[in-house]
Amino acid sequence: MARPGARVADSKKINSELFTLTYGALVSQLLKDYENAEDVNRQLDRMGYNIGVRIIEDFLARTSTARCTDMRDTAEKIQSAFKMYLGVNPTVTSWSPASDEFSLLFDQNPMTEFVELPDSCLSLKYCNLFCGIIRGACEMVQLEVTSWFVQDSLKGDPTTELRVKFVKKLEDAMPAGED
Amino acid sequence: MAVCIGFIGKENSPLFLRCINQSQELQFHYIMHTCIDFVEEKIIQSNKSGSDVRELYLGLLYSSEEVKAYGFVTNTKIKIVIIIDSTNSLLRDNEIRAIFRKLHNAYTELVCNPFYTPGDPITSKSFGALVDELLASSS
Amino acid sequence: MADDALFDFLHMEIVSHVTKSDAGLLQDGDEAMSKLEQIGYSTGYRFIERLTKDLSRFKDELEVMKAICKDFWSAVFKKQVDNLRTNHQGVYVLQDNKFRFLASISNSRQYLELAPKYLVFTCGLLRGALASLGLTCIVTAEVTTMPACKFQVHLQRA
Repeated sequence: MARPGARVADSKKINSELFTLTYGALVSQLLKDYENAEDVNRQLDRMGYNIGVRIIEDFLARTSTARCTDMRDTAEKIQSAFKMYLGVNPTVTSWSPASDEFSLLFDQNPMTEFVELPDSCLSLKYCNLFCGIIRGACEMVQLEVTSWFVQDSLKGDPTTELRVKFVKKLEDAMPAGED
Repeated sequence: MAVCIGFIGKENSPLFLRCINQSQELQFHYIMHTCIDFVEEKIIQSNKSGSDVRELYLGLLYSSEEVKAYGFVTNTKIKIVIIIDSTNSLLRDNEIRAIFRKLHNAYTELVCNPFYTPGDPITSKSFGALVDELLASSS
Repeated sequence: MADDALFDFLHMEIVSHVTKSDAGLLQDGDEAMSKLEQIGYSTGYRFIERLTKDLSRFKDELEVMKAICKDFWSAVFKKQVDNLRTNHQGVYVLQDNKFRFLASISNSRQYLELAPKYLVFTCGLLRGALASLGLTCIVTAEVTTMPACKFQVHLQRA
């Protein structure tokens, strides 16, 4: 079938959009199901956690990464995972004096490229999946962390900032559980 | 100069209309409506012609002493119409094409916003601002 | 650029999310399936808008179906549909011999009964893409032998 002038855009770009749109459809379905934005945030975090506990295997296998020595090392790994899976390069910054807490700054984010948040959804944390993924992935390598959004460009903040805080080392390997 | 830009949905319901002079809005709504038939006609004609190149740009749809209307249809059956003041027609064909391309891009991005329900009247502020800008820059 | 693996993980998680109730019980009911289909529909409807943006104008139904089998399928699944058949009365059957969302499960018969829920999102994706292109339809799917499957598209004539 000859289609002059027809060219499919770069396939990687297209694929990234498929992911973005699927995620968008999920978020809007959750908003219908739960009504309350807080509950949607919780669900997104939970789903992210489940993805995190699986994706870490893929990450370790593909990068043959050695065990992290400290939080700075971990931050670097998380940064490279964002590059690998989402094609974005967040900046690692704002370390706490004890080096147990840092921020990831996103100046671009394909997940929100087309999103315009309606006024009724201002408490929605659109990308809360990320927090869950980081928590789930770290837990699988015996690190308990918490993570949350400090700034969100969708809500008019100048940038999007994700904070990650080290809680404790998990001594015994926990069985992979879904919460 | 372009005086009005309109978007018409799959089922021919108006999605969006913006014009430079508010007092002409009703008149333009009427022209948009007339254009729907011309769009259908153009499509049938070009399919019959057996030509391999079927563009989304449909060219001139309607012309009167005061205005000319140009049309564009997406593969997803959205029609875009640009109305131009005939008495002051400085826009060239390639300039009109360029405006359509920008409008099409803007519409595609709008549809990719998960909070916009396709088929609903378009209320997005950034979309409206872009159309205003295009109207202003072509006049 | 999002990685393929990430999309696969997201899809798997969406399936498991909708089929699991808050109490952790498995749901296989119509409601769960219809949610999954709806997520696919919304995605397909928007995605095809983007994908067909720079293609020339489709002439007829058959051209639309061919674009679905080639451009759409390759964009989503990294391969074309292996076989397209039609009765020329609005029924199209798309066969994929190595369906992406099944390939990652297992090839054994044991999982055959689990398979349908991994097809529902794609049924929605197809229905959404076609609706966006102006064709109203019903899409059903069946697994023949893992990981092959067939999608049947019934166009609703006006």
